[in-house]
Amino acid sequence: MLNNISLGRYVDTGSILHKTDPRLKIILYIVYLVAVFIVDSPPALVALFFITMLQLIVAKIPLDVMWSTLKPVLPLALFLFLINIFTIKQGEVVFTWKFITVTDYGSSRAILMSLRLVFLILSTSVLLTLTTTPLKVADALEYLMSPLKVFHVPVHEASMMMSIALRFIPTLIEETDKIMKAQESRGANYDTGSFVNRIKGYITVLIPLFVSSFKRAEDLAVAMDARCYRGGKNRTKLNPLKITGRDIAVFVVFLAGAAILIGLQVYFAR
Amino acid sequence: MSSAVSVKDVSFTYKTDEGQSTGTKALDGISLEVASGSYCAVLGPNGSGKSTLAKIIDILEIPDDGRIVVLGTDAQTEDDFYKIRENCSYVFQNPDNQIVGTIVEEDVAFGPENLGVKLPELRRRVDDALKYVGLYELRHREAASLSGGQKQKLAIAGALAMEPKVLILDESTAMLDPISRDEFLELIEKMNREKGITVLTITHDMNEAGRCEKIFVVEKGKVTMEGTPSEIFSNPEGIRQAGLELPQDLSLLYELGKITGNRAKETDIRTPEDRLNTAVRFAESADAIPDMPKSKTRKRGRKILEVDDLSYTYDGGRSYAIEHIDLTVYEGEVLAVVGRSGCGKTTLISHLNGIVRPQSGDVLFYQDDGTVYSTSRRKDIPKIRQNVGLVFQYPEYQLFEETVRKDIAYGLKCTDAPTENIESRIRGAAIISGLPEDVLDKSPFELSGGQKRRAALAGVLVMKPKILVLDEPAAGLDPIGRREMFDTILALRDIGTTVVIVSHNMDEAVRYADRIVCIRDGRKAVEGAADELFASEEKAREYGLTMPVLYDFASRVKQSLKEKYRRMTPMPPYADPEAEAVSIIRSVLNAK
Repeated sequence: MLNNISLGRYVDTGSILHKTDPRLKIILYIVYLVAVFIVDSPPALVALFFITMLQLIVAKIPLDVMWSTLKPVLPLALFLFLINIFTIKQGEVVFTWKFITVTDYGSSRAILMSLRLVFLILSTSVLLTLTTTPLKVADALEYLMSPLKVFHVPVHEASMMMSIALRFIPTLIEETDKIMKAQESRGANYDTGSFVNRIKGYITVLIPLFVSSFKRAEDLAVAMDARCYRGGKNRTKLNPLKITGRDIAVFVVFLAGAAILIGLQVYFAR
Repeated sequence: MSSAVSVKDVSFTYKTDEGQSTGTKALDGISLEVASGSYCAVLGPNGSGKSTLAKIIDILEIPDDGRIVVLGTDAQTEDDFYKIRENCSYVFQNPDNQIVGTIVEEDVAFGPENLGVKLPELRRRVDDALKYVGLYELRHREAASLSGGQKQKLAIAGALAMEPKVLILDESTAMLDPISRDEFLELIEKMNREKGITVLTITHDMNEAGRCEKIFVVEKGKVTMEGTPSEIFSNPEGIRQAGLELPQDLSLLYELGKITGNRAKETDIRTPEDRLNTAVRFAESADAIPDMPKSKTRKRGRKILEVDDLSYTYDGGRSYAIEHIDLTVYEGEVLAVVGRSGCGKTTLISHLNGIVRPQSGDVLFYQDDGTVYSTSRRKDIPKIRQNVGLVFQYPEYQLFEETVRKDIAYGLKCTDAPTENIESRIRGAAIISGLPEDVLDKSPFELSGGQKRRAALAGVLVMKPKILVLDEPAAGLDPIGRREMFDTILALRDIGTTVVIVSHNMDEAVRYADRIVCIRDGRKAVEGAADELFASEEKAREYGLTMPVLYDFASRVKQSLKEKYRRMTPMPPYADPEAEAVSIIRSVLNAK
């Protein structure tokens, strides 16, 4: 039941975006992140929608994968929507019923906020998680943050920790599923019953999950020792990062997309 | 021959995080020499120190006392440790906990990258290693998506890319099905032969140990026996005392010897041919007809659970985990579900108590008063879960309460079970699971591995299920633990519980189950009693069943005897070595 969530997973479709240098993708990701947060005029939002769709096509991400990435976030988007629509009291009132008041400003904010979250997840998935292996993300971060080494920031260790955390996501999801089934067999119930009971139900999953994660972490540390891991010093790389002409081309095209977005936003926001 | 690994008077005690000694010595002045280029096995019951020994050879634990020399490097300084680990690779039991890289080739490269191997040499090593283990085509796949057998091969490739001279396998085959295990061992043996890599394997599997050149038996942190497999196994009393068991073919041979008053010498059991000839010789020397051990033919009970045309897909119909399965479980029987990893066994049994609800088809539970409950009706589910207990593989992971007592009681709290006799039900469940009473107030996380599993079993038994479904109940246990687990299962059967076990150990399936159903690629391949399914070897192969080691050896013995005594009538195989030995001797004497 948890296996169909693909948030944070890598899906290899062999697209041009998959092959692009991860450092450039991280920079692009930051640019799009900024764009997603400053865009709020309707024409720019429409443009954002089309550009994101184009990105999906370029990345050759199948729709069902995209859907399963988005699905877990939708409740949160709905929550954001409801909070905004019912709490913002500024603007013209368009609808009232008992204590509920909906204003035009409130509803536009509500739509904007939930859309932002959706676009945030879409950009993160397309530019980063779905198209870049965690090790590459970690590699790229290590490279981009290497100036911090001067201040004795353990950049290599941090990136290694991150890539391992990402590597274990599918394993832990599988494990969670297994534990939930085992507890359900003993009568646990996660779907019905009072809120308190459901929280209690999750404790029966979380404790075993923590215990086994610690065991896994211990095992993995020994396994890494056995494979001569001694930190980043003198380590070589099987696939060293290299920026090619094609990478630059992809980068420029995507950057242009972001520039259009910001341009539209600035133009229409006036 | 020089030594690849030399361990001399090494002692080791595990320390707590605060640096305090835990008291008992895991290794107690152990010494052994592993010859360069040899293929050796370390045997011993759980807690004997054999895994610690393996770790200490690779200096993953640092000895308190004694000396370790690996390939001429005397482990003294941090740099020596590193050098030893460079030359000595290690493959662990759980494939998931040793994969560092997300992508197959990234993981293989992890070791050599740490060694500072430069491109293009690094690329060559990774590709060669992947080709050697047969995973080259999958090099861009996500490591998490591989099967268990493939993951262990990936671990081997990761080791191979470091170009080691010594390979240590720490129960590396424990989680594999027989076919994957064979493939894995063949790979290891090929590396030993072609590349001259010294292999030291820690194992519970006696058939696996029998393939090695040399065996070390470890007990209480010391080597108590060492020698060739035939030397070790020609001492059956010593083997039993050490908490181990004999390979199945030899247990038949010794039973034949016991009845006819013969004793096998070391030279009698060296090669498979020696063993066959010795068994034939023993059988021929019989002069008195032994009594058949009483076999309890058990009556078939009423229908209690029915799987009706069940199919299930995880991906919306592109492929099926199980397809059109029909199966009936009868009250009071032990039914074994066998098949390779990934064949759909676990999906099938997850349906039996409605944890996975049927997509098409149904699972029906027949209560003794004639009421029928269906897993496709939501309101029937609690009733079915009360009656059908499901114990997943490695159930110790489900423990979570502060005390074992509370953990066992968890299921009772979840349902509206009567509250007055909870304590007696907990005790009852603990007793039948073989859990000592004094552990009930301990934290489940303090227990030993075997006890944890029993505690988890008790947590299901406390519901007093009519049917108990167990997925690989003995996985990862040592020979004594396995036998005790199956004794518990038989005891449950004797008090009237219907048992369904999932297993990939065919020898255990034929020995403990009344009927066997084999699942292949999500479909039911065949179903029947063991002696029917394995009556002829060709038939069994046709069904896709792997021959149990005991049956295989027995059928070869009978074949040879038949060539001498043409009048010998074929007898159905028995899963118990003693019964089989008696049956063989009786048929020889009848023919004479």
